[in-house]
Amino acid sequence: MKIRLLFAALLLALARPAVATAAPSPETSILRVNITSQGYNFALPWQKQRPSTRRGLGALLEGNRILVTAELAQDANYIELEQAASGKRITARVEAVDYEINLATIVPDEAPGDFFKGMEPLALDTTLKPRATLEVWQFENNGTPVSSSVDFNRVDLGPYFLEDQFFLIFQANGAVQYRSGTFTLPVIHQGKLAGMLLRYNSRDQVSDILPASIVDRFLKDAATPPYEGVPSFGVRMAPTLDPQLRSYLKLDAPNGGILITDVTPGFSAAEAGVKQGDVIVEMNGYKLDARGSYQDPEYGLLGSGHLARGKAAAGEVMKLKIIRDGQPLDLDVPLLRKKPQDYLVDPYVYDRQPRYYILGGVLFQELTLPFLQLAGKEWRDRAAFRLVYAQANQDEFLKAGRKKLVFISGVLPAPCTIGYERMSGLIVNQVNGKDITDLDSLVEAVKSPANGIHRIDVQDGPRTIYLDDAQAKQDNAEFLPARYRITAMENLK
Amino acid sequence: MFLSATFRPLVLVCLAAWAGPPVLTAQDDPSEEKTSSLGKQYESIVNVECSALRVDYRTPWNAATPSGGTGTAFLIAPNLFMTNAHVVSDASRIVIKKVGDSTPHRARVKFVAHDCDLALLELEEPSPSFAKVVPLTISTEIPKLDTTVRVVGFPIGGERISVTRGVVSRVDYQPYSHSGVDQHLAIQIDAAINPGNSGGPVLQGNKVVGVAFQGYSGDVAQNTGYMIPVPVIRRFLKDVEDGSYDRYGELAIQHYPILNPAQRKALNLPGEDTGVLITAVDSTGTCGGILKVGDVLLALDGYPVDNNGSINIDGELTEMAEVVERKFVGDKLKLKVWRDGKEQEFEVVLKNFPAYLMQANQYDKQPEYLMHAGLVFQPLDNELMGAFSLNNLRTRYYFNYYTQDEIYKDLPEVVVLTSVLPDAINTWIRDYTGQVVEEINGVKIKSLKDAADALAREPEGTHLTIRLAGEGRPIVLEKQLIAPAHERISRKYGVGSDRYIAP
Repeated sequence: MKIRLLFAALLLALARPAVATAAPSPETSILRVNITSQGYNFALPWQKQRPSTRRGLGALLEGNRILVTAELAQDANYIELEQAASGKRITARVEAVDYEINLATIVPDEAPGDFFKGMEPLALDTTLKPRATLEVWQFENNGTPVSSSVDFNRVDLGPYFLEDQFFLIFQANGAVQYRSGTFTLPVIHQGKLAGMLLRYNSRDQVSDILPASIVDRFLKDAATPPYEGVPSFGVRMAPTLDPQLRSYLKLDAPNGGILITDVTPGFSAAEAGVKQGDVIVEMNGYKLDARGSYQDPEYGLLGSGHLARGKAAAGEVMKLKIIRDGQPLDLDVPLLRKKPQDYLVDPYVYDRQPRYYILGGVLFQELTLPFLQLAGKEWRDRAAFRLVYAQANQDEFLKAGRKKLVFISGVLPAPCTIGYERMSGLIVNQVNGKDITDLDSLVEAVKSPANGIHRIDVQDGPRTIYLDDAQAKQDNAEFLPARYRITAMENLK
Repeated sequence: MFLSATFRPLVLVCLAAWAGPPVLTAQDDPSEEKTSSLGKQYESIVNVECSALRVDYRTPWNAATPSGGTGTAFLIAPNLFMTNAHVVSDASRIVIKKVGDSTPHRARVKFVAHDCDLALLELEEPSPSFAKVVPLTISTEIPKLDTTVRVVGFPIGGERISVTRGVVSRVDYQPYSHSGVDQHLAIQIDAAINPGNSGGPVLQGNKVVGVAFQGYSGDVAQNTGYMIPVPVIRRFLKDVEDGSYDRYGELAIQHYPILNPAQRKALNLPGEDTGVLITAVDSTGTCGGILKVGDVLLALDGYPVDNNGSINIDGELTEMAEVVERKFVGDKLKLKVWRDGKEQEFEVVLKNFPAYLMQANQYDKQPEYLMHAGLVFQPLDNELMGAFSLNNLRTRYYFNYYTQDEIYKDLPEVVVLTSVLPDAINTWIRDYTGQVVEEINGVKIKSLKDAADALAREPEGTHLTIRLAGEGRPIVLEKQLIAPAHERISRKYGVGSDRYIAP
């Protein structure tokens, strides 16, 4: 055992000088990543959307891992790594991905041979503070490296990729010429990876950068399966700047503290006993001001979301000091992670097929945010109201015993569905007299039609839908596969 | 009948001419009936100028802003002119002008029916110039499809009368855009109808077969004007015979067609094409406590209802609502229903269903409000939704599902914190406007009067506490700050009276 270790160390020592000679540069440390994505069609969930190919840049890390944003890697069907200068390509796959913190690692599909020869993995610079000059690395079309300088001067929380999810952002000023029309651009500080460029506003010349500290937590988490991910704290908060609110809450002026206005059942805060009306005055020893921000030792004033999510890991315990009914109280909150599947309405669905079930042309699905977003950017105004309301008030449905919101997303005209063609967006309450809590319970309930007729009770519209079981089975077997080219009448995975 | 909130046509426009850029007048087609007696024939048709006052719901304590418009009216009896409700809504002054007579005659509204867009006017002082005018006769029949009609009126205002000619294109149920929530029988014609034609008669022979009232704007559909047909006109005239307008009665049910064989089999329903499934019964409406969701309505007053909700009256297939439309509040109605595998008969007494008016356009009504320390509370209705562009999801729920989910039973009025008149006392709560008020000092708020009563009572603790629906952040005001702030805000913002609550 000892010998082997020694041997390995020797090899490393031998290898070191050879690579250390090449200082990292775009040619040695970043690669083109060509990704063909193909997500599912949430209106017709048995099929995928038109594939689209995008080109980004990835940062080479230790172990032949290429770091990209999850946004680039979403629903990846086919991935190529490409040497910018030579155009040499190998196929690759996603090794780990986290859509919340918007990061993914890509590794070669097979042994890379000499593909990485002469390349130098980037180390992370996790100690970067504002007032630094960073380089944004890109390639010209012909493979010539391009570097743009930006001045990193501000730290804040901002959105990464998913709606309503805020994490640490480094903001930098300076012109970045867009060469690759790409998403992921590695940002470098003194030869080390400082982060990944998320967005660039060409009018204000402001870059939003996902910092290396977040990359670091992602890599460490991914290195020790199972992947834990970012914890879900599960509260809504309101500032306590209003002096009348402060006196009402019996808070000592002029100190801080943030009011908890809602706790989501099943999430970290609720499980640990945090209640609506509590005021959090301290998190892990950091005092919160009346807007819910704290003084970060590295970055200055930051939103408390960084303490609860970006900086925290599932499994850790968050120490809270709260004021409840004017009395101080200490609370330990074990941080839990919620997967998108753990929500009543999945906040995102990538790399997997939406769950659905077809009965004679009636299409049942479990509600997901991507389904609502089919209605466009203004989906809150345009999607079916009952579904939008359910998405915003998931607690009400969870308390009523639902695990998922099963609804009729549409009806395929078929012999079985005559008269029902116009139905859509109907929440399903019962099937054949059984309460529907998720798609599995619907599949179970569909097994027992009364006298050969299914009875489906829905929230609005016809209220009760009757379907002939024999006709439904026949349509599922013949009409629907033949006319609509539906290959599977269900996906319950 | 009223329309469910989920179906709201937006494109139909009323045709009173309001102040705006001039539009070309429709040209008369040469007419055989345009004889030497033209002047006489049309002298019962008059121009109506209406000065209106429309209150801004965002400053309900202010006097209204004057505006005005013109339309057409016609004499149907001595000193009784018929026109559209939308021509004379919110009127502060109405003036009638006769062709060839420059004297303006002041008139007033005798009856107005906002649900079917009709009104009756009378001159404040009967004028000799109308003494010899022969009133127009209202026909007893719906004109046949493809027969010619003439539209007479004062499009785009003007002193001279305009006549256009077209044919009856379609007879069908249409949304009446004046109220926004009602639908009745209407007749589509292809004669040019333009703003200002509103309230004018549509003639066939020498009889009135309709009142011109709405159309589509040109970019939606061409050559489609609508007139209120004889049955609706006659019903209105009959309704007001007792001296008041009582509105339409409503079945207050929703139904769904029975077109799928499995429905028929599951319900054990005989026959092939009769009956509709009852999918909602408003418990306070005509059929409340009598019909049940899941019943099949087989016949209305002896008229068999087909599987799509149509009935056959005098050889014409029409919506089953027509049976109800021909009746009055208090009339009886027979229902034949399929329930539990057998036929059952019920008799119901037709009632109004006032809850749906919350979703209707509001007219001739002073908006209610209550201002307390700069917080403005108002009851939710269609005007409020529009004036404040209320977008809060829960507020939209209360509005959209007010009748469907029977919210009105619990909340006769949905009170909304619509705005805040900024002041030191309320500067931190401006972000919370547009939400529904659930509780004030622990008292559940079911009407604006509840809110007024709750605010008038001294809170138990140190703070006035307001809870908004679905909002975890309470709105709190320190008790002792309220009275001086209220006085200061009223003065600064010119709020003469801090409330109007209808008796």
